[in-house]
Parts: sequence; C-alpha cells; structure tokens
Amino acid sequence: MSIVEGKYSATMDMWPLQSKEMTRIHPFYDNLKEGRFTTTSCRDCGTRAFPPRVVCPECLSENLEYVDLPLKGKVLIVTEEEVGVPVGFETPLIHAMIELDDQLTVFARVMNCKMGDLKEGDEVKLVVYPVDPLPVDGKKGAINLQERVFYAFEKA
Amino acid sequence: MRNVCVIAGGQSVWGARQASERDMFQEAGKAAFEENPAVTNKDIDGLIVGSAYTERCSFQTHLAPVVAESLGIRPVNICCRVELLCATGSSGIILADAMIRSGKADVVMVIGGEKLFTPQRWEVNYSELASVDHDWDGTQGLGLPPPVFSAVAQQHMKLYGTTEEQLAMVSVKNRRNGLNNKKGQYQEAITLEQAMNARAIVRPMKLFDCCPVTDGAAAIILAAEEKAKYLTDKPLVYIRGTGQATLHNMSANMRNWSTWESLRIAAKQAYAKAGVTAKDVNVAQTHDCFTISEIIETEDLGFCEKGEGGPFVQAGQSDFGGQVPINTDGGLLSCGHPFGATGIRQGIEIMHQLRGDAVRQVEGARIGLTHNLSGFIAAHTVLIYGRDLA
Ligand SMILES: [Zn+2]
Repeated sequence: MSIVEGKYSATMDMWPLQSKEMTRIHPFYDNLKEGRFTTTSCRDCGTRAFPPRVVCPECLSENLEYVDLPLKGKVLIVTEEEVGVPVGFETPLIHAMIELDDQLTVFARVMNCKMGDLKEGDEVKLVVYPVDPLPVDGKKGAINLQERVFYAFEKA
Repeated sequence: MRNVCVIAGGQSVWGARQASERDMFQEAGKAAFEENPAVTNKDIDGLIVGSAYTERCSFQTHLAPVVAESLGIRPVNICCRVELLCATGSSGIILADAMIRSGKADVVMVIGGEKLFTPQRWEVNYSELASVDHDWDGTQGLGLPPPVFSAVAQQHMKLYGTTEEQLAMVSVKNRRNGLNNKKGQYQEAITLEQAMNARAIVRPMKLFDCCPVTDGAAAIILAAEEKAKYLTDKPLVYIRGTGQATLHNMSANMRNWSTWESLRIAAKQAYAKAGVTAKDVNVAQTHDCFTISEIIETEDLGFCEKGEGGPFVQAGQSDFGGQVPINTDGGLLSCGHPFGATGIRQGIEIMHQLRGDAVRQVEGARIGLTHNLSGFIAAHTVLIYGRDLA
C-alpha cells in the first residue's frame, strides 16, 4: 500500500480552496453556489476587476464590494481540443472566447457541447457544477468534506 | 558600468531522455566548459539556475546549490534559482548581465533545464494546469496551451488573412534548420503536405504546429569584458541590450490576442539600449512554441509590418538568404522546449552565429536577437547580442 493512500495533497488539487478558512475571496464561491457570477468593484475608484481581489489593482484600496457579472455572453472564437487534454477533462475539450459585456471577455470551457456544435455569434450561459470536495482535518482524526463548485459555460 | 560578454555555452541532448534532471544539469554544465576549455568550474563566481517544474517533476526545491555541488562550482557572489516558466532561461541571462554590469559578480553561469517526462504521461498535462493562472484558467482545463494559440491564430487569420499554409511553412523551415542539430529533439525534415495533413490538436493547430514535450538542459557563461579577454580566445560576443515586459497574466486580462503589446514594449527597450533597430538584426531566435507565435513575433519585433508575418515567411524572408533568418538551429519546433533551458539555447545559438561557428551559419552576422515568452503569452523577454560594442 502506498504511504500516500487516503492523503489529500494540495499539489494535486486542481480546484481552488474556497472556504472562509482558506481564502478571503470566499464570497465569490458562496455567490457561485447560489448561481451568481460576481467579482469585486472598488468603492473608491470604481474599478471592477476580474478575478476578484482583496486589494484594488488600480488604487490599492481595500474598500471593495461584490457586484454581479452577466450570466450570458456572446461567443467570439471557438476552439476544439481533440487530443492531449488534462486528466479530469474529456475530448473534445471546447473553449470559447466569450464577450460578457463591454468590459469583460473571458476564455472559458464550454460544457455539454459536441464538435461543430458551437459557432461564433452563439449565445452561451453560465453553468455552475460541483467539483471534488475538499478533505479537511477535523478533531480526533476525523476528515470533514467541504463542498466545492466551479463554473463554465454552455449553449444558451 | 562594465560591458558583458558571452564566453561559452553548451547543452545536453534534448528529447525524451533516459536521465534525471540532475543528470542533465551536469551534462549541460560540462558541455559549456568543454566548449571553451579556458574557463573552468573554478572560475565561476555566480550561478543562476532556471527550472520551472523542478518541484512538480523532480521533487527538489532549493535547486541552485544542488546544481552547484554537482558541477563542482563554488559560487561566492550569488547562487540562486530563477523561474519564469518558458522564459526562465532568458530571464536568468538578463539577471546575470545586470549583476556583472554592476560589479556584483565577474563570471556567471546561467544554467536551466527541465525533466518533463514522468513515468506516466498524464502527470505532465496535469502539472501544466499550474502554468496558467491555476485558480481561474487551469480550472477551465487550460493546461497545455494549444487552445490559447488556436484562438490567437484564428484571430490573426480573421484580421490579416494569414493562412494555414503560412503557419505550416514556419514548421517546415524550422524542421529543415534543425536537420544537423545533433542536440535537438528532431532531426527529420517535414514537407508542407505532411504539415498540412497532420492530425489536429486544436484546429488550426495541427501536430507540427506545436512544439513537443522535452527533457533537456543548457548552460551559458557570461563574463565582464576585462575577464572575458583572459577567458576566451574566440571572438567576443557582447550583450548589447535587454528588455522584458509583463502586462497581464490571466486570460480575461489579455486585451489583444493577436498583437503582443508586452513584446513590443520589451523589444523597444532592448533596441534602445542596444542602439539598433529591427532592420539591423542579422539573425534571430524567437519563441516558436507554435507556428503562429513566430509569425506574430516577426511583426511585433518589427521585422515586418503588422499583419505581414504570413507573407514574410512565405517569401522566405525569415529563412537563410532572407531579411533575417529566424530559428537557425531549429527553434522550439525542432529542438523541443524544456522550459528552463529554451532561452539559454537561444543565447548559445546567437553566440555561435556571431562568432561565425554555427552549425548552419548566417554569413557575416554581427547583430543577433533572442525572444522568449512565458505562460499565457504573459511575459516577453528580448535580448540583443552584438559582435561589436555600439
Ligand atoms: Zn480602486
């Protein structure tokens, strides 16, 4: 038996730590669990940054608030990866450059989509899905599992 | 400020190696010392070691002292590691240049390498998820970069009419250039038909449009001019100017995918410091991780107008006999791409070109350029070497 059997290793975790014990941007993940796609906006200079921050990248203020981003966007470019995708993903792995609004364009995975299905100009919508839960040490050797989610897009 | 010269360089054989990271660092260091027997491990007073995946693939941090010890180097001025993923090697050279220029060290070895082949292939692709923004782009499955460069290519094609055939011409040229490079991963030429009909990775990126996974290491030695005069009988090659710029990291913050603004800034800095323009460059090694990359680089380095990169390669302007031969040793497409070593391999090839002893020589080359990029096209590094001082 391997000495690492049953052990959680951060180097092999492809999902971000999402709980309030592990990250100060946990509201992003809390909101995502409710189907909201959010980021931080600066109350001092008005800069809306993505991804969310704890410090405004423009004026370095910590006076930030969470604001909603659009849940739908328009496809600008489609890519279809046919071989060699990372473990945890299946071929074809489809990505699209998606215009969410006039300030934000994301390059994201498009789920539930076959080769040739997605075209420039298509509308896509946010999809939130569960990912590997996080095993955390509890008292007296207990392992507590924290639920985690992430986002991608799918055809609207 | 002192002048800085390149006095030696060498590399291990690159490819899918039956060797450890530690083995290959020793091979590359030895190759550099053998290339110029006047300089030995006892002459090195500064060591900069580059490796991006050392913790992930070789389970070793604190790498620089390991490499120093394994090569019998006892650096008394500086011994450290540098990491900027694919641009690690050239970033190490920029730092070594600055140290020597300022008097912090006299003779610095910059050595970089990568062991990427692990017992199971999936792990390399998995580790790549940490090369982009792990929490925001890696989570979208953006590990190996082909989707990114596919999007870049599609945008460039749409804006400027670049064709798939022009992309293929880059790999045909670079495979031909790598034919007699005994240290490269591939020494077989390919035809335009082979390149065009190869299996798709992410269209329009097909097999030969993408550089491979590679194990390997490379080492280069820099010295202050007055030291260099004692440590080599070969023509001196000067570092004339360097530049580096980073404007974003995550995909959502890259404003324009088909004009690389940070490359233009880095090039402008390097040209200004070197006192030359793009027209003065006789030979260049650019970061051809994908065929589209080399096309955009010819434009943003100023070798041709924006949007003319496709016609530039098609007309043979980046080949021997053209305006500026690019990737004369085969580039990443032929030599492969062990991240920490690539920028160093580029510097070694320019050293040979400017001395006049390259495997495939550009006749009379006196100004050479290297360009190295990293991650989500995030950081760009440009160095200009000269056979003469300004
Ligand atoms: Zn602000």
